[in-house]
Amino acid sequence: MQILSVSEFVNYINETFRAIWDPYQAGVEGEVSEFRVSQGQWVNFNLKDEASMVSCFMVLRNLNVPIEDGMRIRVYGSPRVYPKWGKLSFNADRVEPIGEGSLRRALQLLRTKLEAEGLFDASRKRTLPRFPKKIALIASKTSAAYGDFIRIVNERWSGLEIDLYHVVVQGDRAPRTIMRALEAAQTHDYDAIVITRGGGAFEELMAFNDETLVRAIYASKIPTLVAIGHERDKTLAEEVADIRGSTPTDCARILVPDKRDVLYELSALEGAVAAGVKALIDEAHTRVQRSLEGSLHWISSVKLRVEQRTNETEEAWRRWFEGLRTRVDSITRLIRSVDPKTVLKRGYAMIMDKKGKVKTDAVSMKAGDMVSIRLHDGSRDATILPTNQTLF
Amino acid sequence: MPPKKKSEIDFAKAFDELEGITAWFEQGEPDLEKGLQKFERATELAKALKTKLEEAENKIKEIRLKSDS
Repeated sequence: MQILSVSEFVNYINETFRAIWDPYQAGVEGEVSEFRVSQGQWVNFNLKDEASMVSCFMVLRNLNVPIEDGMRIRVYGSPRVYPKWGKLSFNADRVEPIGEGSLRRALQLLRTKLEAEGLFDASRKRTLPRFPKKIALIASKTSAAYGDFIRIVNERWSGLEIDLYHVVVQGDRAPRTIMRALEAAQTHDYDAIVITRGGGAFEELMAFNDETLVRAIYASKIPTLVAIGHERDKTLAEEVADIRGSTPTDCARILVPDKRDVLYELSALEGAVAAGVKALIDEAHTRVQRSLEGSLHWISSVKLRVEQRTNETEEAWRRWFEGLRTRVDSITRLIRSVDPKTVLKRGYAMIMDKKGKVKTDAVSMKAGDMVSIRLHDGSRDATILPTNQTLF
Repeated sequence: MPPKKKSEIDFAKAFDELEGITAWFEQGEPDLEKGLQKFERATELAKALKTKLEEAENKIKEIRLKSDS
């Protein structure tokens, strides 16, 4: 017989548990009761079935899905007897809601929590570039979703570089591999990160409701476009994404434009530019014509002005000439009126001494002086008689 | 700056530039010389963009995550 101390016994029990219980191979399933969180970091609850109950303990940060009383869950971890209290407890590392009801409830609780934190706020949603050059595609390369996505992209667009990150899209490993791909993609200059998978049962899509993955999508520096499953299944990954596509096909349509539309748009732009340049040419043509017409008009007006001026000058000349002629006439008349010949014609005579000087007084002439008498048609010489000796 | 090779054209930038040229014409600046230059550039851009759309193919490359095994 072997006798052990209490401590040895508890230690022995715990060693035995460790030896026989493989946390990766076994879990415990039951209904949650008396769920509580203490000091913001420790989680305690009971897991029970119809006949039994076990206390569970876990660290809050390991609680990957929100749980509450009445929820059916599986816990993974290890059983342990606490030496101080002698009480068996199950140390849970991870919990998993079981059954659609529990899953939906857990999802609802998580959605409420993340919503309260602002992870789904519309104000932080980014837009995608209209013509993406390079994208990351996080999907399973063997899935129908991948095939659909690529087919639609090829139908619609050309010249897109797609870096494919092949990941598993369901099961326990899915959130972690998707997160690794998401993290790796952050180091590239992608225009967008697309995460997609096809539809499936509610449980199959749970990877896309994983809180850590949802937070990683939220933290992505590159705009995210997420399309999971069919229209009716909306996962938290889609809600947190910048843009949600309802299906992989829809996701491709959102990501790239249809090149037929773009070709049409290009033609419209070309047309607008051609119309614009034609308008400029027409305008320039009109301007030149208008300017030419203006010049012609100017020339005509100048000609008219010159003509007017010429006429005016001619008239002025004519008037000046007339005036001049009148003046010349009157001067002529005046000159004629004072011309001695004209006076002589009227019967007067002009007496000049022998020096030819005109005699204008009788006193200076003495008897015997020879004078010349000038009449209008010739001259005659005469001698002055003595005073008072008259001929008549 | 004219596009060097058809394959090297940045589709988004070229498209933006073409839209910018259209907007310039809509503003109605009466500069024929500039307008003709812009028209030539727009024709060149539209041709390159169409060629790119008609000739280029989408390329898919698988990226392996380092710790994948």
